[in-house]
Amino acid sequence: MNLRTFNALGKRGVLGINCRNSEYIMRSNPRSAFPLVDNKVLTKRLADKFDIPVPPVYHLIEHHGDIHKLEAKIAGKPDFVVKPARGAGGKGIILVADRQADNFVTPGGTILSKADLDFHISDILSGIYSLSGLDDTAIIEALLHPAPVFAQVTYAGVPDIRVVVYRGVPMMSMVRLPTRASDGKANLHRGAIAAGIEITSGKTLTAVYHSAVITHHPDTGNPVGNIQVPYWERMLLIAASAFDMTGLGYIGVDMVIDSERGPVLLELNARPGLAIQIANLDGLRRRLDLIEAAPAAIFATAETRVSWAMQTFGASRQ
Amino acid sequence: MTLNRYIAAIVISLLVLPAILISYRVISLGYPLFPATPERVWQISLDARISGPADGATAIIALPSYKQGITLLEEKITEGPLDFSLQTEGQNRYAIWSGATEHEGTPVSYSATFIAKSRYPAPAAAAVNSYPEGVDRAEQTLAEKLVSDKKTLSFTERIKAIAPAATGNWDTSRLRAEDLEKWSVIQNRLGSVKALLVLFRAAGLQSNMVEGLALEENVSSKTDTWIEVWTGTSWQIIMPETGIIHQRTGAFLPLTRFGMPAVRSINGEVSDVRWSLNRQIISQWGIQNERVGSSDRLLNRWSLFRLPPQFQNTFRILILVPLGALIVCVLRNIVGFPTFGIFMPVLMALAFRNTGLLAGLGIFAAVLLIGYLVRNSIDKLRLLLVPRLSVILTLVISCFIFFALVGNKLGVREFMAIGLLPFVILTLTIERFHIIIEEQGILEALRTSAGSAAVATITYIIIQLEPLQLTFFVYPELLFAVMALQTLLGRYTGYRLMELFRFRQLGESNEPKNL
Ligand SMILES: Nc1ncnc2c1ncn2[C@@H]1O[C@H](COP(=O)(O)OP(=O)(O)O)[C@@H](O)[C@H]1O
Ligand SMILES: [Mg+2]
Repeated sequence: MNLRTFNALGKRGVLGINCRNSEYIMRSNPRSAFPLVDNKVLTKRLADKFDIPVPPVYHLIEHHGDIHKLEAKIAGKPDFVVKPARGAGGKGIILVADRQADNFVTPGGTILSKADLDFHISDILSGIYSLSGLDDTAIIEALLHPAPVFAQVTYAGVPDIRVVVYRGVPMMSMVRLPTRASDGKANLHRGAIAAGIEITSGKTLTAVYHSAVITHHPDTGNPVGNIQVPYWERMLLIAASAFDMTGLGYIGVDMVIDSERGPVLLELNARPGLAIQIANLDGLRRRLDLIEAAPAAIFATAETRVSWAMQTFGASRQ
Repeated sequence: MTLNRYIAAIVISLLVLPAILISYRVISLGYPLFPATPERVWQISLDARISGPADGATAIIALPSYKQGITLLEEKITEGPLDFSLQTEGQNRYAIWSGATEHEGTPVSYSATFIAKSRYPAPAAAAVNSYPEGVDRAEQTLAEKLVSDKKTLSFTERIKAIAPAATGNWDTSRLRAEDLEKWSVIQNRLGSVKALLVLFRAAGLQSNMVEGLALEENVSSKTDTWIEVWTGTSWQIIMPETGIIHQRTGAFLPLTRFGMPAVRSINGEVSDVRWSLNRQIISQWGIQNERVGSSDRLLNRWSLFRLPPQFQNTFRILILVPLGALIVCVLRNIVGFPTFGIFMPVLMALAFRNTGLLAGLGIFAAVLLIGYLVRNSIDKLRLLLVPRLSVILTLVISCFIFFALVGNKLGVREFMAIGLLPFVILTLTIERFHIIIEEQGILEALRTSAGSAAVATITYIIIQLEPLQLTFFVYPELLFAVMALQTLLGRYTGYRLMELFRFRQLGESNEPKNL
């Protein structure tokens, strides 16, 4: 850690958090658009308008008095997900994979009674999982079944794909793969791994595990690189249109590839993290500069932005 | 970049404004540039008794004077029934009492507070070497002969070579015995002081005989006499009895120069003379207060020193809190060290003023630990946010009471001062601590604790620095400069030091590892 590393990071075009905040987020993300991404109900409504697929909503619960209506809404649905509209970091999300008589079973095998679930929803409504501590809405939505593409490199849980978009141009991407250590969650600081995805080809690169660069999944031992992500162009289009949806210039778009529906938008993030640079072994700064210098014509539609990105952002290993 | 120019303009104005105000205060209002440089404040008092024949006596007593290189703050003279006047002769200043005295003598007194400077002013060019009165030509020639071999030395070395002549312990190897013999006769006749002075002057050194007092807490009935010699850059003081050289002229208070006696009388006598010197306990705050309080200039009338004293104390501390915030900025935005909440460490630092640093940190850690254990066990109860925080708040207050009672039992004052810790902040910190452990692991939680403790400690040390407090109190406009630095930090878009570590993979040309 010295001046040399300082310069090396600069040359590599690594984006630091100070620079991200002051030069990009503060400049391109209007405060007024933040509620659109911080509240998943608003995000879903917006996505519907733009014909972007989201997990179908079975029911929204806003008042404690309405919790008893849940039963009727999920009748005949073997699996579903309960999540707080304003949650973050995976908190307060319960996946129900199966039902046994009156009880609910999570993918990890935990059994919840009806009363447990009601109590959890009541917690969500009083804002326990909401960042601001405000009253919240509970979303009951369909459980997604991840397509098998990443099955060889996932220990358990649902891998999600993140695309970071600047001025509507997808510029860097990664897939977060749960590990045994991460307890099936896709949070990097809990020990999940993240593999970079090359924008031009949609193929995975090496991965980062606890800030070390790796080529094989730590649990399954299978290679993480060179996996072709299906529906790649469609996913980039979804990511690109998130800009048109929200007006946020700098945004992280999280998607899951469902085995039946294909790419589905999970959530948007107005302050996407910087670890994606380690997964791609490349800095964001250079790509940001390229987008700022791009001819105005490429910004015309989501399609033109995606095709420009797919020509421009190849893996840049030295 | 217009934004950058705009920022630069703001930062420059924020720096120029205090610069102008401070220059104005220093130049026009006579403020000290560094109000906190340690100054030596002394009180001198003189008591004497003047008696004389019926037609009146006159006593002339030397007083300290700014021309002798000190700063006088305050003087008090009791004239009594006598006429009193002040007279200045060159660097010397005299009090003259005259008139008919009582039978057993009329008491007079004088007292002053002054600041001794570490350096006396340079000599006036005119005052160069002439021999003192009563030294004849032959004696002068002999003195010149004795020191002729020292004239090749530098001024400082020359002083070193000649000063021991006071005791006869100087290097006489190249001198003739009969010359030395003759000199010792002269020495006896002139007295040790004058004889040494003649030698210095014969060696071409600018030198004076000075009568005055050594600056020590002392009461004495007579003054001391010494010789001061100019080295070309500063004065050195040579004690004529011992030949000892003092470099620090600030340790002496000169009263008269050029051989004038400090106490004289015409037509009468001065008896029971008593000089006393005391180190003054009036603090620097007092000095500034007096300086500012006695002036009607606008900036002085609007000074913090004009606040009633009980309110001044708060501002002495508050005025340094922005420096604590500045440190938080540096630690978070340049180093990238995490802290609980943004200004939590600053509030802790303020509280440490009552508990002391170590006790404060210890109590804080203890309450945090107890709070965390309880928070962890009530997690299962799944309480809602507001009631949950209320429970922790109640716990924190209970801890405070417990610590205070234990402190009272054991007589530990620091524990009893615990009530001044910011309990709301502590409550929120316990909650944050729990969440960080849950979400990012114990390591991150400990790192955040360390970061908070570090900022609190640094801030505590800074706000306790009296010289800094005083400087900001005298020049509150310095806060604009602090704001300028904060603004600059707000535009620092470079890497944080922690990021150099976080992204080290990208800095190296690396080969992927296989696990
Ligand atoms: N409908 C769903 N089907 C399957 N898994 C889901 C679903 N919704 C969320 N998840 C899982 O939970 C994680 C967090 O969900 P997300 O909607 O991103 O909420 P948060 O804002 O808390 O991150 C996802 O990465 C995914 O693994
Ligand atoms: Mg998420």
